[in-house]
Amino acid sequence: MKKTVLLAMVSVVMLTTLAACGGNNANTNTNTATNKPSTTDAATNKPDNGGTEEAPKVTGEVVFLTNRTDMIDKQYVDYEKRFEEKYPGVDLKFEAITDYDKTLKIRIASGDFPDVVFVPTIPNGELANYFAPLDDITFSNDIYFKDLKANEGKMYGISSGASTVGIVYNKKAFEKAGITELPKTYDEFLTASQKLKDAGIVPLASNFKDKWPLDAWVYDVTTVIGSASDHQNKRAETDTPYTLDNAYGKSWSILRELYTKGFLEADVNSTNWEQSKKDVASGKFGMYLLGNWVINQVIENGAASEDIGFFPFPADNSGEAKAPLNPDFFYAVNKNGNVDGAKAFVQWMIEESGYEDFAGFIPTLKGREPKLPQLAEFNAFNPKFFEPAAPVDAATEIQNKAQLDQAAVVQEFVLSKDPQKVFDKVNTAWAKAKKDLGL
Amino acid sequence: MFSRLPFKTQKNYVIIGFVALPLLLLLTFAYYPALELIRLSFTSWDGLSPNKPWIGWSNYKEVFSNPAIFGVFKHNFAYFAVGIVQNIAAIYFAVVLNSKLKGKNFFRLLLFLPYILNGVAVAYLFGYVFDTTNGSLNYLLGQLGFDALSKTSWLGNGSFVNYTLASIGFWRFMGFNMVIYLAALQSIPNDIYEAASIDGANGWQKFIRITLPNIYKIIELNLFLTVTGALEVFDLPYILTKGGPAGSSETFVMKIVETAFQFNNYGLASAMSVVLLVFVVIVLSIQRFLLKGKGE
Repeated sequence: MKKTVLLAMVSVVMLTTLAACGGNNANTNTNTATNKPSTTDAATNKPDNGGTEEAPKVTGEVVFLTNRTDMIDKQYVDYEKRFEEKYPGVDLKFEAITDYDKTLKIRIASGDFPDVVFVPTIPNGELANYFAPLDDITFSNDIYFKDLKANEGKMYGISSGASTVGIVYNKKAFEKAGITELPKTYDEFLTASQKLKDAGIVPLASNFKDKWPLDAWVYDVTTVIGSASDHQNKRAETDTPYTLDNAYGKSWSILRELYTKGFLEADVNSTNWEQSKKDVASGKFGMYLLGNWVINQVIENGAASEDIGFFPFPADNSGEAKAPLNPDFFYAVNKNGNVDGAKAFVQWMIEESGYEDFAGFIPTLKGREPKLPQLAEFNAFNPKFFEPAAPVDAATEIQNKAQLDQAAVVQEFVLSKDPQKVFDKVNTAWAKAKKDLGL
Repeated sequence: MFSRLPFKTQKNYVIIGFVALPLLLLLTFAYYPALELIRLSFTSWDGLSPNKPWIGWSNYKEVFSNPAIFGVFKHNFAYFAVGIVQNIAAIYFAVVLNSKLKGKNFFRLLLFLPYILNGVAVAYLFGYVFDTTNGSLNYLLGQLGFDALSKTSWLGNGSFVNYTLASIGFWRFMGFNMVIYLAALQSIPNDIYEAASIDGANGWQKFIRITLPNIYKIIELNLFLTVTGALEVFDLPYILTKGGPAGSSETFVMKIVETAFQFNNYGLASAMSVVLLVFVVIVLSIQRFLLKGKGE
């Protein structure tokens, strides 16, 4: 008899200790529990809103998972105040994480993630599994990139801003090298680079080692050279997507030429991204081939805004200014979260927050002029913009199957003695992956 | 109430109570994830979708048939080679710092300190040391008059980038190895040395005949740590070179991370992790086999 009592006691003790282990779980449960009623509330509200688009009654908590750790406790405090003023029923919260894509994917896989997130790198076909369609948000004007994060006619992602890619340069450095006119053709670009080099300035900061800065050569220079933005998709149609005479071969040969002529950093395998911003700001480095987002960062690193300029990269000798128009992160709304509140927040971010000016973006809303003076300079060249083509999952699937890191291929291509061999290797892997997938 | 029970029963309850909790934690946080990893290695899970299609052994076939995956193991050789040198240096310093030496605690601390530093911080630190144009190492070489050497691209030359990286590992872990050796040395009774001295043995003879046999088990342990460390290098190349130049400093663990998180192929990445685990077991078995019986 006593034994059973004791056993019961022991199990109670064990249970309480174990309960402590599970404490976290319980917490998250209550969290979702508090979230859920607000969703149903919103759902019941919907019919009322149906007729009147103005002043929707949104309530509850909205959590925005952001990558801008630097804006927490700064701009976001202001955003929260202004947003909650407009929607008094909403409690807006920001959660900032680094290593955004990986972390978000893990949280999505766990089944519980914040109301507003940026679309992670998943195939468009899977968007509907996690996110709510956003077609019913009415913006004051048409927006860019409607079809990029869409599936079966429904839009699941709205770009937080647009950016373009071109040459960000230090005007003082150009002056010092005696460059009076900005290069409009590739030959002029080479001449200007030579002048910079002769003046003891590193012409183009490639940040070769860090890999990601080479993405501009993978996605953007190729668009400009081929005058078409669907080159990444087109790869799915062939067994040899990388050849010396197509957009990839041509644009990577440009980087190779710049490398062999000594127009990049002295040792491209030992570059330092943070330092390069300071060097472009001080005029030690002449140019970047990157998106306009880098302009503000160079200015933060000590350059006067009027000393930094921006022009389209002349990838060929046609003299025609061309540039890609790229989306930034896409807002998406958790379909199991506070959908109405989240949609209101997304709309507010696009229309009223002023985030695009803070981030140095081209606004997602068509017709709204960017505030950045460098973008005005860029637009003075009257560049022909190429909006990206809607992605085709097949190309991404093959690329993942072939374990192809294109920026790494650019590195190999530039450093290799025989670039054709690099392409042969990549193409073989591509063809094999394509066959294995049955595409 | 508890005290009224027979002593033996009380003892049993206490033992079960104390053992159950750690066992439960161990099972949930070590063995369950490990089993899950093995299960995932037979699927083609993309990391997101709720269904995990079973594909049998094909992930393992892929690991062994694709030279791009398995071939990176040869980069780990540099870490292994430097690890051996690192252990020799550690024994040397341990012996020196175990003798009567002024300020030996200070030197012990000095050598051990790098181990305490965070790995990522160490990587950034050495990023500045090995930088080609602004790096302190090349600056020092230039000041010393080695003009040709001072333009070396330490992290940009495919033929020795792995040794450069391994030398950072040397700097970081040598002190740790040394501390373990020191502990072992201090457990050797002094009278053995005294007896040897009376018999006329010199320092080298004492080291070979007394010290080495006595710390044999510890050498084995340190080699174990070095080998697993060499096979599992990740943070240094990931931060300093991103696997470059042209993939020549990529390690197997970097490949695993890339496969899982960049190419969304969690199944294959799991299989690679299992292969790494098996590989470590094999290498260690070989090591044990070669060194067997010497320390008994």
